[in-house]
Amino acid sequence: MARMKFLCDADRCIECNACVTACKNEHEVPWGINRRRVVTINDGKPGERSISMACMHCTDAPCAAVCPVNCFYTTADSVVLHSKDLCIGCGYCFYACPFGAPQYPKVGNFGSRGKMDKCTYCAGGPEADGSKEEYEKYGANRLAEGKLPLCAEMCSTKSLLAGDGEIIAQIYKERVTKRGYGSGAWGWKTAYRETIES
Amino acid sequence: MASFGRYIRVVLGAWAFLLIVLMSMPSSAQQVNPTASSVKEQQLLQELNRIQGRVSIPDQRSGVLEQPAGRDWREFRNVTLRWIGGIAIIGMLAVLVIFYLSRGMVRLESGRSGRSIVRFTPFERFVHWMTATCFIILAVSGLNITFGRPLLLPLIGFEAFSEWSQWAKYAHNYLSFPFTIGVVLIFLIWIAGNIPNKLDIDWLKRGGGMIGHDHPPAYRFNAGQKAIYWIVVVGGGAVAVTGYQLMFPFYLSGIEGMQIAQIVHSVVSVLFVAAMLAHIYIGTIGMEGAFEAMGSGTVDVNWAKEHHSLWLEEQNARTGPNEARSQPAATPAE
Amino acid sequence: MLIKRTERSSGLASRASVADALSGQAGGLDRRTFLRRSGLAGGGLAALSALSIGSVRKAEAAVAGPLTSGATIRKNVCTHCAVGCTVTAEVLNGVWIGQEPSWESPINRGSHCAKGASVRELVHSERRLRYPMKLVDGQWTRVSWDTAVNEIGDKLLQVREKSGSDSVYWLGSAKMTNEGSYLFRKLGAFWGTNNTDHQARICHSTTVTGVANTWGYGAMTNSINDMRNAKTMIFIGSNAAEAHPVGMQHMLESKEINKANFIVFDPRLTRTAAHATEYVRIRPGTDIPVLYGMMWHILKNGWEDKDFINRRVYGFDDLRKEVEKWDPEETERVTGIPGAQLERVAKLFATVKPATIIWCMGQTQHTVGTANVRASCIALLMTGNVGKPGTGANILRGHDNVQGATDVGLDIVTLPFYYGLTEGAWKHWSRVWEVDYDYLLSRFDDKKLMETPGIPLTRWFDAAILPKADVAQKDNVKAVFVQGHASNSITRIPESLKGLKALELLVIADPHPTTWASLAVEAGRKDGVYILPVATQFECKGSRVASNRSMQWGDQIVKPIFESKDDLEVMYLVAKKLGFADKMFKNIKVENNLPEAEDILREINRGSWSTGYCGQSPERIKAHMKNQHKFDLVTMRAPKDDPEVGGDYYGLPWPCWGSPEVRHPGTPLLYNNNLAVMDGGGTFRPRFGLEREEKLPDGTTRKVSLLADGSYSKDSEIKDGYPEFTLAVLKKLGWDKDLTEAEMATITKVNSANPDAVSWSLDLSGGIQRVALMHGCVPYGNGKARMNAFGLPDPIPVHREPIYTPRVDLVAKYPTLPDAKQFRLPNIGFSVQKAAVEKGIAKQFPLILSSGRLVEYEGGGEETRTNPWLAELQQDMFIEISSADAADRGIKDGGWVWVSGAENNSRAKMKALVTDRVGKGVAWMPFHFGGWFGGVDLRKNYPAGTDPIVLGESANTITSYGYDPATGMQEPKVTLCQIAAA
Repeated sequence: MARMKFLCDADRCIECNACVTACKNEHEVPWGINRRRVVTINDGKPGERSISMACMHCTDAPCAAVCPVNCFYTTADSVVLHSKDLCIGCGYCFYACPFGAPQYPKVGNFGSRGKMDKCTYCAGGPEADGSKEEYEKYGANRLAEGKLPLCAEMCSTKSLLAGDGEIIAQIYKERVTKRGYGSGAWGWKTAYRETIES
Repeated sequence: MASFGRYIRVVLGAWAFLLIVLMSMPSSAQQVNPTASSVKEQQLLQELNRIQGRVSIPDQRSGVLEQPAGRDWREFRNVTLRWIGGIAIIGMLAVLVIFYLSRGMVRLESGRSGRSIVRFTPFERFVHWMTATCFIILAVSGLNITFGRPLLLPLIGFEAFSEWSQWAKYAHNYLSFPFTIGVVLIFLIWIAGNIPNKLDIDWLKRGGGMIGHDHPPAYRFNAGQKAIYWIVVVGGGAVAVTGYQLMFPFYLSGIEGMQIAQIVHSVVSVLFVAAMLAHIYIGTIGMEGAFEAMGSGTVDVNWAKEHHSLWLEEQNARTGPNEARSQPAATPAE
Repeated sequence: MLIKRTERSSGLASRASVADALSGQAGGLDRRTFLRRSGLAGGGLAALSALSIGSVRKAEAAVAGPLTSGATIRKNVCTHCAVGCTVTAEVLNGVWIGQEPSWESPINRGSHCAKGASVRELVHSERRLRYPMKLVDGQWTRVSWDTAVNEIGDKLLQVREKSGSDSVYWLGSAKMTNEGSYLFRKLGAFWGTNNTDHQARICHSTTVTGVANTWGYGAMTNSINDMRNAKTMIFIGSNAAEAHPVGMQHMLESKEINKANFIVFDPRLTRTAAHATEYVRIRPGTDIPVLYGMMWHILKNGWEDKDFINRRVYGFDDLRKEVEKWDPEETERVTGIPGAQLERVAKLFATVKPATIIWCMGQTQHTVGTANVRASCIALLMTGNVGKPGTGANILRGHDNVQGATDVGLDIVTLPFYYGLTEGAWKHWSRVWEVDYDYLLSRFDDKKLMETPGIPLTRWFDAAILPKADVAQKDNVKAVFVQGHASNSITRIPESLKGLKALELLVIADPHPTTWASLAVEAGRKDGVYILPVATQFECKGSRVASNRSMQWGDQIVKPIFESKDDLEVMYLVAKKLGFADKMFKNIKVENNLPEAEDILREINRGSWSTGYCGQSPERIKAHMKNQHKFDLVTMRAPKDDPEVGGDYYGLPWPCWGSPEVRHPGTPLLYNNNLAVMDGGGTFRPRFGLEREEKLPDGTTRKVSLLADGSYSKDSEIKDGYPEFTLAVLKKLGWDKDLTEAEMATITKVNSANPDAVSWSLDLSGGIQRVALMHGCVPYGNGKARMNAFGLPDPIPVHREPIYTPRVDLVAKYPTLPDAKQFRLPNIGFSVQKAAVEKGIAKQFPLILSSGRLVEYEGGGEETRTNPWLAELQQDMFIEISSADAADRGIKDGGWVWVSGAENNSRAKMKALVTDRVGKGVAWMPFHFGGWFGGVDLRKNYPAGTDPIVLGESANTITSYGYDPATGMQEPKVTLCQIAAA
């Protein structure tokens, strides 16, 4: 079984935001919802690094654990998805998520949350693969077409890796060995309880 | 609260880290090798337990890259809170059942006098019942968030549970407003009678007369009622403030503040529910003649004499004992 | 916890896993089996490894989802920067439904930046122009295309009648295809003016002039892919991470795989500098002292490449004298860089080879832009870092076709392909176009103006508002026809408003109204403005040339939407109205008013011998797009045995010599004499005479050869320097016998009076080129590169302080050049600088103001600020200010500030970004914003529904006077300003 993961090689990321707009493009994500974002640490200072972040599809995902209505599920590829039909927009997954992944469209008055939206690893939702309903609720389902998430595929510097965890870890390890530096597989310890030793 | 400690740690850590960075910077600012000095994830996590940076979108809260604290919060929500809530609510129910079985309803010792006296005005009763109704719905819908998934969901299935929870969420959000208004009004209209005084110590020492057939003197509100009053005011205030913080995400605080708010909200709420169970018990089956105070607004003079002797004296002194209306005793509600 | 949806009793759609779902579909293939077979999820992962640098395989969909099934794939090229990323579009029922990674392209290997990943929205945008409009009593009013073209044409003819043909300014675009830009230049020629310009003026005009004057051609010598060979990369004036993000892929991999030194000189610690192995902070406008400071160390330590200099370089001794002035003390005094750091960097650059210098507008956009780029070229020549893999001047261009548009001559100083404006040049093009030279001559006000460079676009408004006597043509500029150029990328906006008011006619042909429209209304115009909706390049087909000189063909992805028209069609309609369409389109097929792009490219092929666009037939270029996956990532060459593209370099980077039948593979690295010419080799171009008379100290003179000395390209039959090929040279060598009869006939036809004088660049048969190539020789000859570029204002680059400099103490020693008349207009830079010093401007405006790019936006930014996917990422105009300067002024991060400029009492309101990315004393603004002016939001000035989502103050509201004497380049990189909290 493939264990799909994301890995952002911060020593390659240049905050070009291709991942962000690729995601918007692929899924027609509306204004204000950022399934993926790029955060720059030490902005403008020596040692500055940027990291592209979205749902990491955690092992034992906190969002799923705290969801009051249990609307999350994990696919055989370990992609953490949720059902917008079940979601009640309570915001609990946002409190639990270590990566700020869940997004809520503002609906109604006083900023009350609509159905949660987040990165689907380009794997859609519970509806039939590639169906119109699935697309409208969750966006495209690339995984079902044998394609990886578009954010990683379009990454300008091949900083953002997506794919089987072992393979992308191997790629990252090789990179670090080859070049002699690496600021870490950001988020891996928190998401997958593992780090990549090199 | 552990979270506050963590917050202090974060702040201190940030300063410490900044110092380290500044000190480790080469003396000539011109000579920097950004690759060599690049920030490392593990280093940041160890220093701060939270990684924050800059994002170009206006939503600056999304500048928090990682906050592993979410994991602690999850532990609280899924384990700690369920234990606290479970113990508080089931424990309180158990105590009440045991008490009822052993003590039964507290009767009017001198029987009904047939004369009644006004205890709560219609406005006071309206405020009470508005708040109470909201509270019950809020409590049920709130408990659903914590206990619904293990208890109710397996019984009714995903769709029905989500549907119910969705409505429960709406109810919880919207009824919070009348509830808050109620709490504020309760605070204002009854504050006069609820300032603790020396009498309360005596009342408490004598266990409120619940044991045996004692009747410690009390003015309009005895120490037990004062306790409920303050639980409502303080607890209600706390759940209101924290609740609004959750309902209006990021207006008042960042994600960490919201986690703390949720912790406070939920812990206070379950304790509040437990306290209210006791309140409901005493107001209904726990004590003869008590319900009518909020039901019809009048109480039997004998009830007043037994439970609020000093208040009755006050009332009589003001209006004269003869003016108390003569009425058939109301039947206490079950 | 639930693992699978199927565990639920609720009866939702069953979804055990992707694989299960797939296996149920007819013809389905287990996805993981597929991933394994195709090598790690297709090209995706294979491209990621630092170690795998082989070609990338394509990720083919095993099973297309129902939504995309039946979609056709069409390839075009990203319309933003000049990296040249292929855009792969999925089209269904005429609708562009999705973008896929372009794994096959050796340039982008699937990657995009924020702009490239969102280009689909440009086409579908709801805020695009939908129909032609004109300003009537200050209101935007819909008109038909017929009405618009008729009224515009009548007005143009009226202006021509009254003020002459030069009073119409034709402002074209680097966004057009080669065919479009070429046709626009041709339109200018047939109209009778050299006032035809485009973005290259404000982008790399100084590069083109400076670099061409050094070694022959003014273009990037190597390629971004070739930077994978570099061991040292020096970025001076380039923020590739934001301006060329996909290029950074190759640069970072070079840094990782080669352990290459990655050295960034910049006033800001940019996103690029964040990845540098060494960052050097410089004062804006001191590039020449920085480079000379490095050269000082190189010469002192003897790190120069003496053999290379002796064989291939002219003017080294003259240069040495200038370099000697820049000892570490003086360099540090002027630039602020400590001597030790500069010595370290100089050593890396000179000794860890191959080394390359990368630059963009940080070097070019200065009054000394030409000298800046010359200094960079000289540094490369000194260390022998030209003409080899991993070396060279890697000049990153900024627009998708700015290289091509420059080459095809959408320019004020030349006809297509750098033939110049001489009578000979006009006659060459009249032969190619098959029109009488006399007809073309008759179109101009006079022969002198026909052969005089036009007015640079940086100064169109000066040409409109200066006294008539100051403008060296029949009359002021009275009409501007702008097709695809922003107005807010031009400096001195407050004065351009006066120009907008003074015009009789303004035509804006663009997919968006642009700041031309909003500022024209702001300037007080009530009429005389037309807006024509033009299609994006994704709705057109044609060729475009990337920064590395590779030509790529873009297919039409979807048909132009609404009433928008292809660039070519607009030009045809205008030419038809103006009455010369039959002559102008004599050899070009026109169908339904749309000229055929392929035919235009063929015409280009027939006339572009000088630059080697002659071998790039549409068929060859299309074959490259079809066979992208066959080209190597580093060499960019296809295997020799391939039937369609065998041996070619990707995109046939020019010069691609001879006719298409010669099958020259293109030239991936210019001046590489380690390769045979037919394998893409080359030599420096002897363009400035064969020898030069030099004065010696004793008063005598000597003649020095400008031809290469004992250096020649591989397999050359001439083992030394040689001049350009003419029929006479062929005869001298006895190679004229190799010409066919047909070729001889054409040569004789070109110049029947003196066929011997017909050169490789004028011979329309291509015979002279063919024969030269046959003998392993470069058609243009084999000369020396010039450190001393005699003929330029500063033959040896000299440091000159910016017009507005905070270092007034240095102005006396390093003044700007004296006032002079250039490009039909006075350039009074010296007077302005002098007045600024005398008035104490630097005290009043103590901060240096520089400007640059953001990754999300491009150029004037109207197009990208209209794209919600991009606009969301940068919603406010801002100015970067250092924490020290902010603290002095009580400015808070994110707070509003007023920025005031040194001229025109200009001021602009924007947000402050307090950051030590900029040093103390320096402020920086992005230049993509527009739609505000002096603190006022101009949203109401746009035609309803076409206003960009994000508006903001333009950086150029604050920028000030300053023009490069050699090209008319503006100075947006250094001026002075003051900032105060609003």
